[in-house]
Amino acid sequence: MAPNRSWKCAKCDKELVLKKMLFSYLGHTFSHEIMRCPTCGNGLIPKELAEGRMAEVEAQLEDK
Amino acid sequence: MTVTPEERNMEKENRLSSREQVRKTLSVCPVCLKQLPAEIVRTGSDCFLEKKCPEHGHFSAVVWRGNTPSFEEWSGLPPLSGPPSPDCPHACGLCAHHLRQTCCILLEVTDRCNLNCPVCYAESGGKKDGDPTVSALHEQFKKFVRDGNTFVHLSGGEPTVRDDLPEIVAAAKEAGCENIQLNTNGLRLGEERAFTKALADAGLSFVFLQFDGTEDAIYEKIRGKALLEKKKAAIAACSENLLGVTLVPTVIPGVNDHDIGGIIRFGLEGSPDIRGVHFQPVSYFGRYPKPPDDSDRITLPEVLRAIEAQTEGLVEVADFAPSCCDHPRCTFHGDFVVLPDALIKLTKPSETSTCCCDDTAHLKNRNFVSRRWKRTAESTEYEPGADYQDMDTFLKRVRTHGFTITAMAFQDAYTLDLERLRRCSLHVSRDGRTIPFCACYLSPA
Repeated sequence: MAPNRSWKCAKCDKELVLKKMLFSYLGHTFSHEIMRCPTCGNGLIPKELAEGRMAEVEAQLEDK
Repeated sequence: MTVTPEERNMEKENRLSSREQVRKTLSVCPVCLKQLPAEIVRTGSDCFLEKKCPEHGHFSAVVWRGNTPSFEEWSGLPPLSGPPSPDCPHACGLCAHHLRQTCCILLEVTDRCNLNCPVCYAESGGKKDGDPTVSALHEQFKKFVRDGNTFVHLSGGEPTVRDDLPEIVAAAKEAGCENIQLNTNGLRLGEERAFTKALADAGLSFVFLQFDGTEDAIYEKIRGKALLEKKKAAIAACSENLLGVTLVPTVIPGVNDHDIGGIIRFGLEGSPDIRGVHFQPVSYFGRYPKPPDDSDRITLPEVLRAIEAQTEGLVEVADFAPSCCDHPRCTFHGDFVVLPDALIKLTKPSETSTCCCDDTAHLKNRNFVSRRWKRTAESTEYEPGADYQDMDTFLKRVRTHGFTITAMAFQDAYTLDLERLRRCSLHVSRDGRTIPFCACYLSPA
């Protein structure tokens, strides 16, 4: 995601703000700050996060 | 515990009057090792493998005690997958009837040993030919990698009796082995730090350390001498070289089954140097002092319950699941992250009755254990009050302080169940063949 770029929520037309979001995987819940709509709460998950830390959390939780 | 002949007879009579067949399978005669029909029968809450050899008579051995977890709940009783080969397990190498690919391949680099334990599945002691050369082993490693077997166990005998073990590790690395595990009693690792460093420098991945308990009396019984300080020295030497250590207790009733919780606590206190504990309930093949009674056996559910009781609930039965990589009745595993005053439990109880078995199970297992058993060079500093729900904080801690509690119940000639054997993914390379572990070391009574 390009730095310093502002994003708007397509549904609410509000500018996204940095806010903590909860993610669940295999029964475990984690938090991370991402850009979210202050009204509806929808979040924007950047590619780097999905392919980086989120993928690593998945791998760490994957069972044998 | 001593069982009198009268008590044994009474137990047998009670069992005969309340037998319930749970499952049909195949096994072998413990005397002549011929393949035989067998059945698993339940009496009360315990399950026994029973079989009758026309020549050598009736045999029975306990294979599951208690209902927490129950036999059915744990193994899920998947449908049988057709008959095995008629000459299973005697014609092993792997055949078309085998149901699992190789997860880990074990290679005996020597038959010599610097201990002389009364119980030894490999019957080590220097009775055979000389050790294989490094170049011969290198050729074997290359073949393993060509076959996709990149997780190798260097075993024996005691591999560290070989002065050229670092060269063997380097040869495995050069051939392309991704995970190189050393199965060892650890004596030399602690005594010769330069040797341990040379192994780490050569590319050793991690160490499977024979570790039977936290009391010297245990070692005196099982290994013939007090060894606890030597084990601690081995762990310290591995720590200096960032070699992860997994503790491997052979669990024997009446000898060290009271120390199961003590071993886990020792392991947790040793995190991140110690990466886990891998329990091996005693099995009777190779060298052992006398034919086993049921009182000489401890089954997987008993180990699970002992873990819960002896850690006072810090670790519970519900924290464990069977592995998809092998037959569910052969293993359990629990995955944890160690905090100074608590554990994060990663294995979910809901997984217990599910199974994801497919032809990639061996690869998943390889990834799992190598991720947990390797030490990383990352800082292990603890931040008091840290929020482990935070993704970054969790990831940092799980990389450094992941901890596994696992077990593998090996099968001997009394307990061998060919349904289980066919799902084995731990294989031994011997004489050009790849043989499931329990078939390789199967020995007559």
